[in-house]
Amino acid sequence: MKKVSILAIKYIVYGVMVAISIVPFYILFYLSVNSPSRSYFESMNLLPDWQFYNYMEAWKQSNIGLSIFNSIVITVGALVLLVLLASAAGYSIARFPNVFNRTVFIVLLLCMMIPAIIVTVPLYTLMKDIGGINSRWAMTLLQTSTMLPFAVFLYTSFIKSIPKEIEESAIIDGCTHFTAFWRVTFHFLKPVNSSVVILAGMRIWNNYDQAIFFLQDSSVRTIPLAVSAFFQKYGADWNLMAAASMIGLLPAVLLFLFFQKSFVKGITTGAIKG
Amino acid sequence: MYSLLNRINTRLHLFMTVPAALLYGIFFIYPLIQGIGISMTDSNGVTEPNFIGLQNFIEFFNDDRAKGALMNTIYFAVGSAPLLNIFGLAYALFLDQNIRGRTFIRTIVYMPAVISPLIMGYIWYFIMQPQRGFLYHVLESMHLGFLNGNWLADSSTALNVIIMVNVWQFVGMTMIIYLAGLQGIPGELYEASKIDGAGYLARLRYVTIPMLYPAIKINVVTNIIGSLAVFEIIMAMTEGGPGYATESMSIFIMRMMYGSFTGYSTAVALIMFVVIVIPVFIFLRATKSKEMEM
Repeated sequence: MKKVSILAIKYIVYGVMVAISIVPFYILFYLSVNSPSRSYFESMNLLPDWQFYNYMEAWKQSNIGLSIFNSIVITVGALVLLVLLASAAGYSIARFPNVFNRTVFIVLLLCMMIPAIIVTVPLYTLMKDIGGINSRWAMTLLQTSTMLPFAVFLYTSFIKSIPKEIEESAIIDGCTHFTAFWRVTFHFLKPVNSSVVILAGMRIWNNYDQAIFFLQDSSVRTIPLAVSAFFQKYGADWNLMAAASMIGLLPAVLLFLFFQKSFVKGITTGAIKG
Repeated sequence: MYSLLNRINTRLHLFMTVPAALLYGIFFIYPLIQGIGISMTDSNGVTEPNFIGLQNFIEFFNDDRAKGALMNTIYFAVGSAPLLNIFGLAYALFLDQNIRGRTFIRTIVYMPAVISPLIMGYIWYFIMQPQRGFLYHVLESMHLGFLNGNWLADSSTALNVIIMVNVWQFVGMTMIIYLAGLQGIPGELYEASKIDGAGYLARLRYVTIPMLYPAIKINVVTNIIGSLAVFEIIMAMTEGGPGYATESMSIFIMRMMYGSFTGYSTAVALIMFVVIVIPVFIFLRATKSKEMEM
């Protein structure tokens, strides 16, 4: 009997945890399918009036299809670059700690703590000089660079935890250390790849504080910019904002669900043991 | 010629850090160094800047709005980090048990971290609306209407509300790190302490918490770093208001930049850098000696 009631209490606690986490999603969904006249709670009414028309309207007004395209190009591009650059750097740092590699690692670790906004003014000048304002490729490079310290940190500690022996047989077969990494070690990095893709991917997908400076033209704007536009240009249009947010949220949620299985494993070995 | 190529080829692995270092150098280190120069000028982005030495830094300490932004940022970080860790650890301890559906619950609890902080802020702005918000009617229907207030327009509550939203959003993130840490604790330790007669709380105090030090370290550091950079949630919920009551350093820097106080905003950014690095550095040092003791 006691066991049953403990189990019941446990599930009540879990129920509360789940409910707490779902509230923001429900509110967003509620707003996205409600008609504008009902956009505020007039009374305790938790059911919307199912205006799916909002989605079409939001899609048209904000041109969010283009924003999704921009966000995907920037996020995917930055993630591919990030995985290649950071895993290569992590390998070199973990396996061959010479003065240069150690210095790079320490500098990256120190800079991991610095919020990106600190360099915005000089960065703006730089971006203007290289034609990087309102350009997807410059934003891709910038996002890669912003997430580099974190990714290099994860890769380095993960590669340190893999035994060196796995590359050695390849090297005996005539591979250089460089090719041994891409042919052998890289295939062991799947868990940490997932962690980097999820953690950095979310940050890049949701990036607003850099996008607001460097992607001002509506043809290159990303999802957070498109969503926030409903509050500036059109004067707080809650329903359309919510509908646009829901559309923009979908790819992020799918990405997360797809990679989440190996995500925890990557964090365990990459961050905790390192 | 061949031997040179061969030498490069066999040593390529030593230079695999170069592309990453180069990219980071261009987009972060170079602007950071340039920023130090700009911070000592009266640059406004239009006219030719003049060198004015440390005047911008002195100006900061006479600027009540800037100091307020600094205090708000510290208040936000000092409020968020402990709450995130207490709730994150509690969540992790609850979800570390062998129970059906825990993977599903973990996924759901982590989900809010996937939403953009900007959108999260808008959602909570909507929930918190006086008269027409979600929370207003929940409290009314529970006959707790006297608790209602215009929290976001009240300078004594606005920042606390924003802290709560931040904790709400990122508790799942903190939890995942703790869960990863809990999985690394060998079961024998628990069995040994059980044989020694330790109860749940004693095991928590003498086994779980000490073994979680690496996870605690990562969480506290990332929470502090994240909190000190807070920008989107505040932009969505109050835009720094009422007055400047919730203005953070990042928002202040952005406002100064748009207000053409380029030199000054860069100086404030460098002060922010020092403010962030010092506590994190002290914390890392302190936990390092703690780990040595164990």
